[in-house]
Amino acid sequence: MNKILFAISICMYFVSLGANAALQISGYGSLIAGKTFGTVNDPLSPGQKRDEILTADFYDVGQYDNDITIKAESILALQGTYKFNEKFSFTAQLVAKGVDDFEPEFDWYYLTYKAKDDLTFMFGRRNIPMYYFSEYSEVGYAYPWMRPPSNLYWWQVTQFDGINAMYNFDIGELSSTITAFYGNEYSNDNVEMLYYDRLYGGSAQTVNEFWTDILGMNWNISGDNFDLRFVYFQNDRDRETIQQDGSIDPYTPFSQSFVGFGGTIWLENFTFLFDMNYVEYDDDLGTEFPTYLASVVYNWGDVKPYIVYSKADHERSKVPTEALEEHYVLSVGVRYDIMSNIALKLQYDNFVDQGDEPTGWAYHGDAKAISFGIDFVF
Amino acid sequence: MKRFKQSLQKVMPLFISLSLLYTGNVSADVAVVVHPSNNSEFDETIIKKTFLGKSKSFSNGKSTILIGLSSTDDITQEFNRKVIGKSSSQVKAYWSKILFTGKGTPPQELDSSALVLQAVASNQDAIGYLDPSVVDDSVKVVATF
Repeated sequence: MNKILFAISICMYFVSLGANAALQISGYGSLIAGKTFGTVNDPLSPGQKRDEILTADFYDVGQYDNDITIKAESILALQGTYKFNEKFSFTAQLVAKGVDDFEPEFDWYYLTYKAKDDLTFMFGRRNIPMYYFSEYSEVGYAYPWMRPPSNLYWWQVTQFDGINAMYNFDIGELSSTITAFYGNEYSNDNVEMLYYDRLYGGSAQTVNEFWTDILGMNWNISGDNFDLRFVYFQNDRDRETIQQDGSIDPYTPFSQSFVGFGGTIWLENFTFLFDMNYVEYDDDLGTEFPTYLASVVYNWGDVKPYIVYSKADHERSKVPTEALEEHYVLSVGVRYDIMSNIALKLQYDNFVDQGDEPTGWAYHGDAKAISFGIDFVF
Repeated sequence: MKRFKQSLQKVMPLFISLSLLYTGNVSADVAVVVHPSNNSEFDETIIKKTFLGKSKSFSNGKSTILIGLSSTDDITQEFNRKVIGKSSSQVKAYWSKILFTGKGTPPQELDSSALVLQAVASNQDAIGYLDPSVVDDSVKVVATF
């Protein structure tokens, strides 16, 4: 509660500075209610039934079951940018999420140095520019669906402390941006990894997840009717699973690489969105995660019905087996732009778990869910 | 699935009737203006790229300062439709990606064309769009749509 009061007083302080033109306040939010309908045989406890569970937010473990909730993925964020001068500014985002009982936290904070009009450096805490929608995955107003397909946006790390260098240039009529980034993330008390520990019957005190030497680049090209983005990065991975007695489980560190190509294409009244990604570990198993999404939106004035299919697979190149994690989500929905900064959304999700049950890889279970939300920016 | 279809059938007519209420805009002309001292080159492509934040400086080398009207203003809707080629909601969604990832600043939203005129007249690096009927000698018109 003290944290909330602290956050409110900081907000009030920002607002009191608001008269100052050097400070810009903006924000975004989503109020989303949803639930699943049926029950499934618990994939990890054969013979037992449980509610269908749809994980809408893997990183924060925001889930829907048969009881309607607004806590799984509702969010309110306030952004303040203070411009010291033409070159330097500081930006912070105070974010309150339903999964944290709306206790606000500073999720983003970084210093921006605009060296030239076409060259910008950012130092601080930001989202890792992984998937096409990663950097603004929580800004519901910015994309057509209720959420970027959660079975692809499933990583236990989404942010890092580091440096981004962004360079803009034109290629004929096309606009292009190359961003290089480097940073580290020491995610102590990782929510998603502790959830998996408990799910498989563990009783760890906590799990700390480390992604270090995250080094990579984005290349973005856009024209009148398209926006394409290529991404590559690599990083080292390590983990501490700390048991109740303080002992730490053995873990073999490894490196991973991430490559992806995604984009948006506007054709007449249709918008096509896609993202293809491939993650590879240099571990003994040759772990690979090929994932992709494809979506079509029909822009019928302010009413935008859409369909999105997302598929995630888990493979092992050095120990070939098909019996691993695999799932897809097929969602249909409609976005209605009620005002130029407020959108209503209604979405139906069908999560199909194609993982291997005997080996425990079908741990999500099938789920059908419906959600209704309001997204806004200000 | 059947229950979902039924609820969609109930909700869709509401969506459609609401959307009709919001699309009845009156057509208006839009003028794009800069400070009289700004001798940079302008055409529709340059103006579009400038207002999407893709061109961050004028051909004279100065950084652009973008001035606009509220996103619900008819002039803004006209500018977005004719120049940007997108609806005001699409433009807002585009800028919200950029704003909340710290990669740019959307056009400042002023309350009236008179205020846009004043802002552009008093800043050498400003570019704005407004109702042509308010234009006077204090600014230079570089395009009308």
